[in-house]
Amino acid sequence: MKRLLMYFLFGALNYGIISAQSADSQAPASTQNPEFVEAMTGVVADIQGAQFGEDLQPFANTLERIAAAEPKEWLPSYWGAFCYMMKSFTEPVVEKKDQYLEKAEKLVTTADELNPNNDEVEVLKANIASARMAVDPMNRWQKYVPIAGAAIAKAKAINPLNPRIALHEAQGVFYTPEAYGGGKAKALPMIKGTIELFKAFKPTSPMMPNWGQDAAEYMLGEAQK
Amino acid sequence: MKHLLLVLPLVLVFLQHSLGQTVISGKVTDRKGEPLFGASIAIKGSYDGATSDSLGHFSFRTRKKDSVTISASYLGYEPEFQTLVLKGGNLDLHFKLKDAFNELNAVTITAGIFEASDSKRMVMLRPMDIVTTAGAGADITAVMQLLPGSNRVGEQEGLFVRGGAAYETKTVIDGMIVQNPFFSSTPDVPQRGRFTPFMFKGMAFSTGGYSAQYGQALSSVLLLDTQDKVSDQSSTNIVAHLAGVGIGYTHKGAISGQLYYSNLAPFLKLVKTNIDFVKPPQGMGGSLTLNENLSKNSVLKMYVTYSDGGNTLGLPNYDDGGKIYQFKLRNRNLFTNNTYKVFFDEGKWIWQSGFSYSNNIDDITIGTTPGDRRDERSQVRSVLKRLWGKNQENSVLAGLEYHNIRNSNLFDTYKASLEENYSAAFAETEFYLLTKLALRVGLRGEYTSILDRYNASPRFSAAYKTSQYSQVSFAMGQFYQTPEKNYLYTNRSLGYELANHFILNYQWSKSDRTFRVEAFDKEYKNLVREYQTTFDPNPYRFPTGATDNSGFGNAYGFDVFFRDKKTVRLGDFWVTYSYLNTSRLFQNYPVEAAPIFSTTHNFSVVYKQFIPKISSNVGITYTYTSGRPYYDAASPVFLGDRTKSFQNVSIAASHIRSIKGSWLVFFMTLDNVLGRKNEFGFRYSSDGQSRFPVIPVTYRTLFFGVSMNISRHADVPKESKLDL
Repeated sequence: MKRLLMYFLFGALNYGIISAQSADSQAPASTQNPEFVEAMTGVVADIQGAQFGEDLQPFANTLERIAAAEPKEWLPSYWGAFCYMMKSFTEPVVEKKDQYLEKAEKLVTTADELNPNNDEVEVLKANIASARMAVDPMNRWQKYVPIAGAAIAKAKAINPLNPRIALHEAQGVFYTPEAYGGGKAKALPMIKGTIELFKAFKPTSPMMPNWGQDAAEYMLGEAQK
Repeated sequence: MKHLLLVLPLVLVFLQHSLGQTVISGKVTDRKGEPLFGASIAIKGSYDGATSDSLGHFSFRTRKKDSVTISASYLGYEPEFQTLVLKGGNLDLHFKLKDAFNELNAVTITAGIFEASDSKRMVMLRPMDIVTTAGAGADITAVMQLLPGSNRVGEQEGLFVRGGAAYETKTVIDGMIVQNPFFSSTPDVPQRGRFTPFMFKGMAFSTGGYSAQYGQALSSVLLLDTQDKVSDQSSTNIVAHLAGVGIGYTHKGAISGQLYYSNLAPFLKLVKTNIDFVKPPQGMGGSLTLNENLSKNSVLKMYVTYSDGGNTLGLPNYDDGGKIYQFKLRNRNLFTNNTYKVFFDEGKWIWQSGFSYSNNIDDITIGTTPGDRRDERSQVRSVLKRLWGKNQENSVLAGLEYHNIRNSNLFDTYKASLEENYSAAFAETEFYLLTKLALRVGLRGEYTSILDRYNASPRFSAAYKTSQYSQVSFAMGQFYQTPEKNYLYTNRSLGYELANHFILNYQWSKSDRTFRVEAFDKEYKNLVREYQTTFDPNPYRFPTGATDNSGFGNAYGFDVFFRDKKTVRLGDFWVTYSYLNTSRLFQNYPVEAAPIFSTTHNFSVVYKQFIPKISSNVGITYTYTSGRPYYDAASPVFLGDRTKSFQNVSIAASHIRSIKGSWLVFFMTLDNVLGRKNEFGFRYSSDGQSRFPVIPVTYRTLFFGVSMNISRHADVPKESKLDL
């Protein structure tokens, strides 16, 4: 999970503080065949257990095969998008970063079409938009900050208790310099709140998203220094 | 036999096993046979598959039987499919993938063009770079002058491209020519551009060989594309600096209004000027922008601006021992530019139409003599574009333009006026023969009533990708321009001036490092020549001699450009060198010579650094241009003398701060830090006996101000794009 920590170092460059909205709904659970559950559970465990810098391409490929065989399932596309987003953080060549993020955008769009109005998909959309911006923040914030902001606002409306929403907001403040209205001190209460949400969060199945807690704990350690 | 009996059971077991499973192994490579690491191999409709290793090898087992489709795919390549029948046993497959068309591997035509855009990846400069460049004063043209192909002419505004005069460059906004892109000219005092860089999402500066979509520019076009609607946010912006105040409000990202008042009096009190401002420049103006996506497939952009300003200069009378006379100017300018763009048939067709109107009124008094100027231009333009190809990478377009232009110039009681009806039709196609080879072929035809002549000019460009990060590009074409209005006032029988361009370019670009080198040759024909008994070196004179199209000229040379945004974190460094060899016989030149605005060597270094700790951006720019030709009646060679070189070191800094959800940006620049006394040439008395140096308005300039942005959401203002 060190990889996830690094991700936030690389990718967290969101300046916007998005206004809160509230509503509550949960994505419907789908009925799945055992082969699918087994394959997905395995690959999701591999992804979440991977070390930073480890190539996620084999997992992305496995997910793509599962997605092709199970065209109605959103999770393979969701996790595929996640893999390509992570690949963009370790890729040194700027042009290739964008190539991975374009692929991640395509996959998250597919996930969104298969499972509309899902908070996890919205959060991932926001993270991909932030990653897009992080490639060239100076010239891209204008386009991607509103996209990330809208996705986070939508996720909040669906499930305000999703800890990855709070995480995305906390990292936005954490990685914004104090002079720009951010800073570690200001982020501290948000990080604490995020960790509380992570403690309370139980994924409905092992193949559901459950990433980010380590990143929040890393930020907590840094903010308390 | 014994042996066989022993082996048989093993064979049977093996057969049984392999009948149930097929082992599929093989290799994935690109077309050249280079292995692809991380390619995905899949059996359609099943979970079975594998990922290729670093040698491109893969192997997996499947229980699938009968006819299956096996695919190999890799990001950036076209997937390949093989349909075969599985019967158990071993299968060995080789996939050779072809490059998919994408921005990474497709070539882009770069000869003669410097793009500054946030939409394309292969860019040189982005809009934000304009305002952070030291010594450019947030002026688009001033930054373009730091790019290869253009040189700074200290006493006059405009872009002088590769030996071309300022009038040979046209400024184009959303496809339409801007009649008066600069604030009105006063003698030896260069003016700023009228437009702020924040209006534009992209800027492309052509150094020649440009597209058939544009015309009436012998040397270059500066293409400005206005911002699209990016968000629904409302914000207020207030700016105050040494020369004025301004306020702007944007409503829901769609409608925006700006008002400003400028007065250079405080600035002129602070710095020592070399020119006597009897009445400091003062002005006010405003603009209104509407930018709305009317539907998912259509965009309407409307822009109107009006400004009213003036000043009075005390200028030396060269014939009267430098005694001061007053040059009084009041400029009123109305400009509107409107475009409507619609996409249909899933974006395969794009139709863009525009209307623009410009009215520029200069009330001028020179001493006691009136010298008013009027320029009015109405233009309509319509372009239909069709995209085709798998990735819609190819295009063909056709368009029409019509302009009505009215100019007049009063001098005392003599009034010259012109009315011109200009129309143009053009067609152009840009297509890929290979992913690595792109061609652009265009043709433009023009007719203008004032010359009563037609012209047709072909344009051609090609680009070939030589490696993953490098390419060569070539451009050529014919470029016609109607002679300058000052000549047409007295002679309507003139014909078009013509320039032929040839440009060869090599570019290497990888991860925020760019190197490019470009060689060019430009041949001028049919330039207007004026016959005088004795040469009058006054550039502001009104032509009085007989004129014809017998002038000619040429310019050749090369430029080198290197930019690095990678080596120093949050730093940006670029260096430019241009070599120019040019001569021409035109205007009232008695013999062929290097024109007074040309310089042989042009060198500049720009460095910027963002320092997050103090949230500040600092920058330094150094410019060197070799001496300019100047006229000396005593010299045996016409324009054979050179001024001393021009050198300038400028610094700029800005600091950003967030206070209660609004953003404050403090900025300051110091131009010509070393206070070098640059000279641009000389002015002469009419008998040629006494001369006066042309010098900058100030030797050293200090300028500072503050800008504040208040958004409803605590969002980032554009100024904060300084970097992060």
